[in-house]
Amino acid sequence: MARTFQVGDTFTHVRECDRYRPIYYAGASGDFNPIHIDPEVGQAAGLGGVILQGLCTLGWAVEAVGIFVGDPGRIRRVKVRFSRPVRLEDTVTFQGRVTVLEGHRLVTEVTATNQRGEAVLKGAVVEASIG
Amino acid sequence: MAIDKRFIGREYGPYTYTIGAEKMREFALALGGAHPAAGTPGEAPAHVSPLLHDAQAAKDGPYGDLIAFPSFAVVFAIRPFGSAVADPELGINLLMLVHGEQELEFLDVMRPGDVMTTTGRIAEIFEKAGMEFVVVTSESRNQRGDVVVKGTWTAVIRG
Repeated sequence: MARTFQVGDTFTHVRECDRYRPIYYAGASGDFNPIHIDPEVGQAAGLGGVILQGLCTLGWAVEAVGIFVGDPGRIRRVKVRFSRPVRLEDTVTFQGRVTVLEGHRLVTEVTATNQRGEAVLKGAVVEASIG
Repeated sequence: MAIDKRFIGREYGPYTYTIGAEKMREFALALGGAHPAAGTPGEAPAHVSPLLHDAQAAKDGPYGDLIAFPSFAVVFAIRPFGSAVADPELGINLLMLVHGEQELEFLDVMRPGDVMTTTGRIAEIFEKAGMEFVVVTSESRNQRGDVVVKGTWTAVIRG
């Protein structure tokens, strides 16, 4: 790869949870838990409406790092804690920073915050191979 | 009601899944922000890698074929976790369940036609801060027997 990376490099990726995204993601992933597609069930579960699948948010964090390293096939590991639901029409900003570079192994820490500045993921780490 | 720790070690699977090109593409585009319509998964937004959806670009690329978006693996690798939390013997109230944590390791890329076999087991059951945690680990191998995806799936059951 022509591109070089350094510890401390940063990157940003912004995604919007548009109105039908949880339904599209349900269709693609098979996760049809009604809290993601039925507002009444979301209300009854105390969530105030439908929420996006956490694994979609995880995917967006992976996407952020895949774009940063230039190839989604280079992602080797992702680890996240789901700290707050993503709701319809939320905008999630992913900010990443390279924390470790050892040979071909690149480790990033990624934060994910909604438009109110609240973290929707905690302790997110995404690793890639840049060899 | 506490979940009985004797279920630690209980195994689920094997479950077999054949990866199809259109399903991979559909996943990458739905995650990537496309708007599907009848007959099409939608236009790929500019940030979505062509290696995930453009057959010609993928053929000319580093893998020689389309590859799956890494977390496409959840489509099949979630199966042992889903089976464990719905296992009637564990008696989990699914309405109180939230997905707390997730880890995925990707040891290789996934291509159309790969046949993935997933097994999993309950690795941990514990209580913390008045909530119960069930941790399931999974391992998915391709048709050559190589481990391609490892997962650690953590459910939190609100008290």
